[in-house]
Amino acid sequence: MKGFLVICKIQLRLFTRDFFSFFFTLVFPVLMLLLFGGIFGNTPVYDGAAIRMMDISVPAYAVMITGVTGLMSMPLTLSGYKEKKIYKRFDATPVGKKSIMLAQVLVNLVMTLIGISILIIAGMLLYHIQIKGTFLSICFGVLFSIAAMFSMGFLFTAIGQDSRSTTLLCYLCYFIMLFLSGATMPDMMFPDSIKRISDCLPMTYAVDLMQGVFSGDSLKQHGMELLILGSLTLICIIAGAILYRRKDWT
Amino acid sequence: MSQVIVQVEDLNLSYKGLHAVQNISFSVESGEVLAVIGQNGSGKTSTVECIEGLRKPDGGRIQVFGKNPWLHRNEVYKEVGVQLQEAEYPLKIRVEEQCRLFAGFYERPADWNLLLKQMGLDDKRKCLISKLSGGERQRLSILLSLIGRPKLLILDELTTGLDPEVRQNMWISFENIRKGGVAIIMVSHYLDEVEALADKILYLEKGKQEFWGTQQEFREYAKGRISDDEYEENLSLEKLYLKIAPKTTGLTMEGIL
Repeated sequence: MKGFLVICKIQLRLFTRDFFSFFFTLVFPVLMLLLFGGIFGNTPVYDGAAIRMMDISVPAYAVMITGVTGLMSMPLTLSGYKEKKIYKRFDATPVGKKSIMLAQVLVNLVMTLIGISILIIAGMLLYHIQIKGTFLSICFGVLFSIAAMFSMGFLFTAIGQDSRSTTLLCYLCYFIMLFLSGATMPDMMFPDSIKRISDCLPMTYAVDLMQGVFSGDSLKQHGMELLILGSLTLICIIAGAILYRRKDWT
Repeated sequence: MSQVIVQVEDLNLSYKGLHAVQNISFSVESGEVLAVIGQNGSGKTSTVECIEGLRKPDGGRIQVFGKNPWLHRNEVYKEVGVQLQEAEYPLKIRVEEQCRLFAGFYERPADWNLLLKQMGLDDKRKCLISKLSGGERQRLSILLSLIGRPKLLILDELTTGLDPEVRQNMWISFENIRKGGVAIIMVSHYLDEVEALADKILYLEKGKQEFWGTQQEFREYAKGRISDDEYEENLSLEKLYLKIAPKTTGLTMEGIL
């Protein structure tokens, strides 16, 4: 346990020293909020709409944060560690490589929650966003979004033969989902052709779920999103675990 | 009284059907230094990685402190320190953080501040690992292998990248460590190092065990493999080894000009 805590502490420091992870988890979402908030303000999405721009942007950007940590920061660090044989070195200690993997997941989880908290606080202070959902339903929404993104990242690390192929997979997946899922701009603005692509992306369901629970929907109203994200998580974890066992770690 | 620390019997390992290691047997006792020598690709690193529990052998039996290192890796590593041939560390971690991290893995770690001074890395403690030179990284790697106060040290290419002065200091240090009862398995291409440190030699050729025994026995073995004309009584271990090792073709200017 002592060893694991030391690993977590050091991994947390390494996270903050990595510009990409630090910036895109903690700073960039707030900058997005400031940019789009500056352009639109917290006005209705369209004339007469009950939904306001910043009220739906904050949960969407929160999903973007889960994508940064789950699909970029964690898998790229893990694949880099494998390629540089850092896991192998940890395997030659009493704690083993599983500890550093677990610490990576934990650190990224904590940073995701911090990033989402900063975003919500900024939204409340700057644009007086309204959060109508219960604390529990929002927690479930965040948890399912994190689980889906992290498990996809885990699977990509398992599929990638090396750091480059993992990076390519993660970048492709992340940026396609970022722009086409409604995480950066509301999907109601998309034409039908884009909407059809958007419907096939897991992040779309995470954004719908988060926007729903933030605006006061019950979890029951988002059974489909929960089912899709939950199933995806299970499939990715099982497939990733099978592929991981077959990998050569030496 | 000496205690058997490592026992290897009929070790076999293959990669995709290719035999990397075949029927290797030897043992290492406490306070003993075993040098594993042989050409590149002779199976040295594969052999020690099986002892380290990092590779699963296809056949044979390995016991480290009476335990199978593949099945009981975490327990075995409480007593084993390892310096791997090619492993790296996160580049954005500082030297002292890396030491603190490794010290956190053991119940009774060595004083790493003292080790940093002894390894000449005290002024580098705040440095990121990415800023260290190759020799400094190698010294850090050796330091980290010692942090858990091991009873068995496995050193793969101990002094690669170190300057002659540091190499000599390392030899003295490891001689002292050995006197303290620690068993050492070292993989090395430097035969002067082997001559200075090793009690026993394991010589591998193309994955097969050609010899295992004391340095004196190795000389007798080598004498038997070369003609009387080639043999001289006071040949260094390196020169003797070069006489028995499989010959490789040298580079000619033909291919360059």
